[in-house]
Amino acid sequence: LDLWKPLLPEDIRAGEDLHIRVPASLVQEVKDSLDQHVISYRVLIADVQKLVDQSMPRERSSHRQVSGGYVYTEYHPMEEIYQWMTQIQKNNSELVTQHFLGKTFENRTMYYLQISQPSNKTKKIIWMDCGIHAREWISPAFCQWFVKEILQNYKTDPKISRFLQNLDLYVLPVLNIDGYIYSWEEDRLWRKSRSPYENGTCYGTDLNRNFNSSWGSVGVSFNCSSDIFCGSGPESEPETRAVAQFIKSKKSDILCYLTIHSYGQLILTPYGSTTKPPSNNEELMQVAKEAAAALTGKYGTSYRVGSTALILYSNSGSSRDWAHTIGIPLSYTFELRDTGTHGFVLPANQIQPTCEETMLAVTTIIDYVDKKYFPNGQVVLTSSSLGLSLCLSI
Amino acid sequence: EDAGNCLATVLYPKKKSRPVVSIKCSHTKDQKEIQEEDNRFYQRIRHQSKPITANNIPDSYGNIEPALEPVWALAVAGSSSIMWEKSTESLSYFLAQVKSVRQWIRKDDFVEFDYTVLLHEMPTQEIISCHMRLTWLPGRPLKVKHFCASEGHGAQEGSGAESGSAAAPSAEEGASF
Repeated sequence: LDLWKPLLPEDIRAGEDLHIRVPASLVQEVKDSLDQHVISYRVLIADVQKLVDQSMPRERSSHRQVSGGYVYTEYHPMEEIYQWMTQIQKNNSELVTQHFLGKTFENRTMYYLQISQPSNKTKKIIWMDCGIHAREWISPAFCQWFVKEILQNYKTDPKISRFLQNLDLYVLPVLNIDGYIYSWEEDRLWRKSRSPYENGTCYGTDLNRNFNSSWGSVGVSFNCSSDIFCGSGPESEPETRAVAQFIKSKKSDILCYLTIHSYGQLILTPYGSTTKPPSNNEELMQVAKEAAAALTGKYGTSYRVGSTALILYSNSGSSRDWAHTIGIPLSYTFELRDTGTHGFVLPANQIQPTCEETMLAVTTIIDYVDKKYFPNGQVVLTSSSLGLSLCLSI
Repeated sequence: EDAGNCLATVLYPKKKSRPVVSIKCSHTKDQKEIQEEDNRFYQRIRHQSKPITANNIPDSYGNIEPALEPVWALAVAGSSSIMWEKSTESLSYFLAQVKSVRQWIRKDDFVEFDYTVLLHEMPTQEIISCHMRLTWLPGRPLKVKHFCASEGHGAQEGSGAESGSAAAPSAEEGASF
């Protein structure tokens, strides 16, 4: 017998607990024997090997869970994410197109993926970006997972197929590409972009303080060496400009703006720069609470919901605030797992559960948008759309 | 695994000094089990032929070698004393990563580690690097001396005595696990 408690047979005492590890092939026999001798037992660990496997630090290249396929439960460097985008478009060309968004400071290309079900209907847009802060690796991991889930399930999942009839999904897997690469190669805890200031003696702007929403007013630093340096002016950074220009150009069609961060387990609503609530605060809070509840339902992970200024800290120049002020009604920041135990350095074995639960929250929000603006297949005239809309019944 | 629940009240004094913490903990993990784990780890360190050294706990992918988990746990316990000293009403901290650890072999019963720990400071989002010298004997208060590098503010030095465990949080600390 493999004794786990106590360690030595001579320390076994009547009336005290005994813990043993039983080889898989003998489990039934042992259980039968215990029953025969009227010895009560309970199973503490059903599969020891599984626990052993999970706790081993794995070499990145050793296991490929899906042969030849992309491993969504590992963190990937930027090179691999670029290749992934190309592959995703190639393998799902009927639904996915890769688009140029802009260039980073270090001249790298920013691409977003457009997931769009072919149809003659005009669609509205859900935008999601990940990786605005370099060290928040779980964020790009989620964007990749999200794309994979949609593509794997859009034919079979009724919720997804319903909203894809009316909504296009635009996903930017890594916004701060230069910073992300820097966090892989030089400094795992880097946050900002990599643009130089002060004659190259100081690097990086906090891109989430660089947007044109009360820029520079609160929760920022004008000192380049700070991790919340807001840049030399609103949209001073090429990455910010690339995102802002694009969203502005499509703003009449974008119904929802989502930006993914870590850590903290929060769904944050506007604003960060003031505690004055946005005009549609009740709706924002209601939908966020539903999303958080859906998330918690999966593994019990608890999320808090509220405005950044109230539950986190004051900050200005955030992308989410900016998106809301230009007229995108549903605008949220997600802060994914955890709450500080691992923080930015979330173990890869939490990628799957984090992504699964977050998926439920995000699809709850998309679902709400879909049902609100496209009830029963009819197109609702929004204040910014022009022309006649046809009523289509399913 | 949860070792227990703690409820604390924290008062931040107006003049700069440590917050005043009163805390009550209830243990859900068996106290004896915790002591046994601590002792096992303590014995293992004492019987090392070479001092333990390591870098990046967890590593970039979030992995912690199982053998180094107690070293990490001691770092969490020790850095909570640093955080206690630095926390104010508007500044809070988490342990982001153990950058390096080196064991100093001692002739007496105590176990001693030299750490460089990286603290994540909110809301500034800064990563503060602190040097921490920690001495430990199971069942005795953890002794922590620290020295944090701080840009523009001048480095801050401090020391403290807390009880600590490699296997569980102690009532005096309120570190959240």
